[in-house]
Amino acid sequence: MVDRFVFDRYSGSEAPTYVPDSGVPDVSLTDIFPRKLLRETLPLPDPGERETVRHFSALAANNFSVDGNFYPLGSCTMKHNPRLHEQAAALEGLRDLHPYQPEDSVQGALGLLYELERCLCAITGMDYFSLIPSSGAHGEFTGMMMIRKYHEQRGVKKTHVLVPDSAHGTNPASAAMCGYATVVVPSNSGGCVDARAFSRALNEQTAAVMLTNPNTLGIFEEEISELKRMAHEKGALLYYDGANFNALAGIGAPRAMGFDVMHLNLHKTFSTPHGCGGPGAGVVGVTERLRAYLPVPRIERRDGRYSWSQGSPETIGTIRSFYGNFLVCVRAYAYVLRLGGAGLRRMSEHAVLNANYVQRMLKEVLDVPYDRACMHEAVFSCASLAGRGVRAYDVAKRLIDYGIHPPTMYFPLIVKEALMVEPTETESKETLDRFIEAVRAICREAREEPDRLLRAPLSRPGGRVDEARAARALEVKWNPAAGR
Amino acid sequence: MVRYSKTHEWARIEGNTAVIGISDHAQKELGDVVYVELPSVGDAVETESQYGTVESTKAASELFSPLSGKVIAVNEELAENPQWVNEDPLQKGWMIKIELTDPQSAENLMDEEAYREFLQQQS
Amino acid sequence: MLDAIGVRSAEELFRHIPNELRFSAPPLPRGLSEYEVLQLLRRRAGENTPLSRWNSFLGAGCYDHYVPAALSSLVSLPQFVTAYTPYQPECSQGILQAIFEYQSFICLLTGKEVTNASLLDGATALGEAVRMALRLNRRGWVLLADSVHPEYKRTLRTYLSAQECICEEVPRAAAGTLDISAWRRALSREVSCCVVQAPNFFGLIEDAEEIHRLCRTTDTLLIVVANPLSLALFQPSGDLICGDIQPFGCGVNFGGPGGGYLAASRRMIRQLPGRIVGRTVDAGGNDAFCLTLQTREQHIRREKATSNICSNHSLQAIAAAVYLSLQGSRGLTHTARQCVRNTQYLYRKMKGLSGVTLPYGPGVFHEFVWQVARPAAVLEALRRKGILGGYPTGKEFPGLDGGILSCCTEKKTKQDIDAYVSALEEILHGGQVRV
Repeated sequence: MVDRFVFDRYSGSEAPTYVPDSGVPDVSLTDIFPRKLLRETLPLPDPGERETVRHFSALAANNFSVDGNFYPLGSCTMKHNPRLHEQAAALEGLRDLHPYQPEDSVQGALGLLYELERCLCAITGMDYFSLIPSSGAHGEFTGMMMIRKYHEQRGVKKTHVLVPDSAHGTNPASAAMCGYATVVVPSNSGGCVDARAFSRALNEQTAAVMLTNPNTLGIFEEEISELKRMAHEKGALLYYDGANFNALAGIGAPRAMGFDVMHLNLHKTFSTPHGCGGPGAGVVGVTERLRAYLPVPRIERRDGRYSWSQGSPETIGTIRSFYGNFLVCVRAYAYVLRLGGAGLRRMSEHAVLNANYVQRMLKEVLDVPYDRACMHEAVFSCASLAGRGVRAYDVAKRLIDYGIHPPTMYFPLIVKEALMVEPTETESKETLDRFIEAVRAICREAREEPDRLLRAPLSRPGGRVDEARAARALEVKWNPAAGR
Repeated sequence: MVRYSKTHEWARIEGNTAVIGISDHAQKELGDVVYVELPSVGDAVETESQYGTVESTKAASELFSPLSGKVIAVNEELAENPQWVNEDPLQKGWMIKIELTDPQSAENLMDEEAYREFLQQQS
Repeated sequence: MLDAIGVRSAEELFRHIPNELRFSAPPLPRGLSEYEVLQLLRRRAGENTPLSRWNSFLGAGCYDHYVPAALSSLVSLPQFVTAYTPYQPECSQGILQAIFEYQSFICLLTGKEVTNASLLDGATALGEAVRMALRLNRRGWVLLADSVHPEYKRTLRTYLSAQECICEEVPRAAAGTLDISAWRRALSREVSCCVVQAPNFFGLIEDAEEIHRLCRTTDTLLIVVANPLSLALFQPSGDLICGDIQPFGCGVNFGGPGGGYLAASRRMIRQLPGRIVGRTVDAGGNDAFCLTLQTREQHIRREKATSNICSNHSLQAIAAAVYLSLQGSRGLTHTARQCVRNTQYLYRKMKGLSGVTLPYGPGVFHEFVWQVARPAAVLEALRRKGILGGYPTGKEFPGLDGGILSCCTEKKTKQDIDAYVSALEEILHGGQVRV
């Protein structure tokens, strides 16, 4: 940690005066409110501006970020975030708007959202998008609730959702929130959904199939059209988890693959930044037959004027307050405009090229469990290092010493000692070579000096952080009594 | 008399009761145990069905009872000291004590020798 | 690179995707230069009228508080903006400490022992809180005060629509506050949780502790939706406290992003959704932080997880921590008090206006409802004078015909409020709107 907590900082200066005294008569709180409802003390620190700036600047300096480090975190698409996005989101005419302002006074904001929806429809082939869902998981919840409503309206009893064994954890968790059981479908030796097992698991009670394509092994599901045919035959809908859309933007449309509902992570493919874990946006697209169930409100355009509408009576309803993460949508819109159709395509081509280069160059030192051309990410197994007592965890931690953020570890679950590398399109060959060299050096070290690896990161004075202790002796807030 | 199940639980049979925990192999696979969720005294447990959960920092695993019976004691101290499951899985790391429905059923479990062979086959 | 991989073009890497699944032409027109994009967005921005150009009294869940310059600067630091979730503690200590401090701030304000690293917004935080209560006591009945924000109520209903549970609304008393006898009648041992908002949607301060005492008689959990700024002045109450951190330096942002918070007792921590930062040490024995209790979360527990939440609103949580640090106890108290003062001043001025009815008393934090005949026309007339008078409550609350919810934050001055009242006077009595 930095030398102390914000709670231990004190400026000794005057109370901040960010706004003038309003000039209205003072009131006594006890004249208006019963004393028992009033707070006696407010135990907050008073660090003042100078100390606050020092404190949080020191905290910011103590991290890896895309601006400072190569960040090949699989499934997270940690690409460069254009500064244009920040400038756009800082425009007063976009930022300083109240959600309940009269529609006449926010026509530009509504128009922007409307246009972004049209762009996303063009890119994915979907007929409509709701921009309200505020994260990928929120998008999954929204999409699965629409599927639920769709089946309910048709009077069909559905009980479960099919999910491949390589799926993101959010898929089964979202299905469960929508009242569905999860049936796991195994992958075949090629790393794709096993079509025969899929067919066996599928029945009239299957509400939906949740797939990400390319899947989490970075492999395109070539039998997708066949899977779609089987699913639709049983009255199940196809849900597209857009977490891996960075491989396909401008190249292919999920609609063409037969998907009925999908979400896109604007913070991944569309490079609105990740902000230490959020805010993002998990916008949801649907085909015409699911239009009635879209969450509300919807934007309508009539005679060149935009307005909010309360949607159809069959809507799944409200999924959060107001209209979603508007400023995230602003950034994504800037990204789409900047790249255009051809630019998006080049973007995905580079992402796939970079991943294949890394896969090819590391093949000699790490196992590639599914040895074929990958899409935007490459999954390796560190199982061959296990004989030396070295695990994927150790390789990941050692990368920190090279100034590289560790890849995603132990995911997908079906690969032993997995390392999932997603270099993204914005990295140069030089950076990729530096990464490749680092991994090779670590693998050499695993053979020659495995004990060193087990202590990595070595460049960090205190070494590894004890995660077991954090969970055993839970301490989730500052404890003034402990004096620390 | 200690017996083992294929899901890596052990049971120490004492007359018509059994003390139950997870094997040394299981604790190694799990890594640092940080939390154990156990049933209450009086609850019924059944062979091969889940009676609790054991958690490491990166995984949550179900605990399956090797035998059927009624819970008569629970290792309350694991709440404060989950690391005992790693440090001493067969003694201090015990989880529950049950009154057996059928003391004879322990015959179906593996003895130490058979469990060691089972582990070898698995790897 | 192509040579190393053994292909002639990047396009070849997509060969295995069937042709019919690929676009034959780019799906969108050509890209624009940075300058063109900025010009286009400036044009869009120019078609809006930002709050700075209005005399605004809009609130209703999204509040126009002053955002200190230092906050905007700190929250724009690229090491915060372009980092991911701090899953790797060895290269994320700064983020982890910032979020730990955010958690500590929320616990200090709410008087609770545990909270998470943020949720998406206040409405989804309420959805998560109720789902958490249902898991904690495994009952299937939810009592919901009708004075909760309408968007929160609707979101909650969506979150509960796939659950086996009944959600029943409890009407407010004539004074606009909780009707203790109605709650007493509705409560039973089947009720999992009671949901109230304090201050409620109409700005009224509530005695939630009274409901809390009732809840204890049936082992029912009390969930309080609380504007966290109000906690600078008023006693927190409830077994679970949730809401939106938007007032803490997030700005209005056309409604998003703000961020959700959810605080609870220590014994409930295993049912808490979302990420949690915990304190620990590193191998060298130094203080350190990491994400903890991840076994509750979707990436480990999958269908048995406490929630599906993955991405949260960490940057807003950090903004809130920075805001509270900049303000400190003195600044925050001063801000909250100026909200109260301004609102009392407007309330008294309104009371003197004929044609205006005040259905409820002055015991409000920073917003209150007033009634008038033809509210839409009045709001429109105000708008023509550059005033955003408030949020019309009529549609949502049939009992409150002609209601307008008006809010005064600390940014309002005596001149702003006087201008509002005289414009209203002119509209009501100058014949611009017939009443």
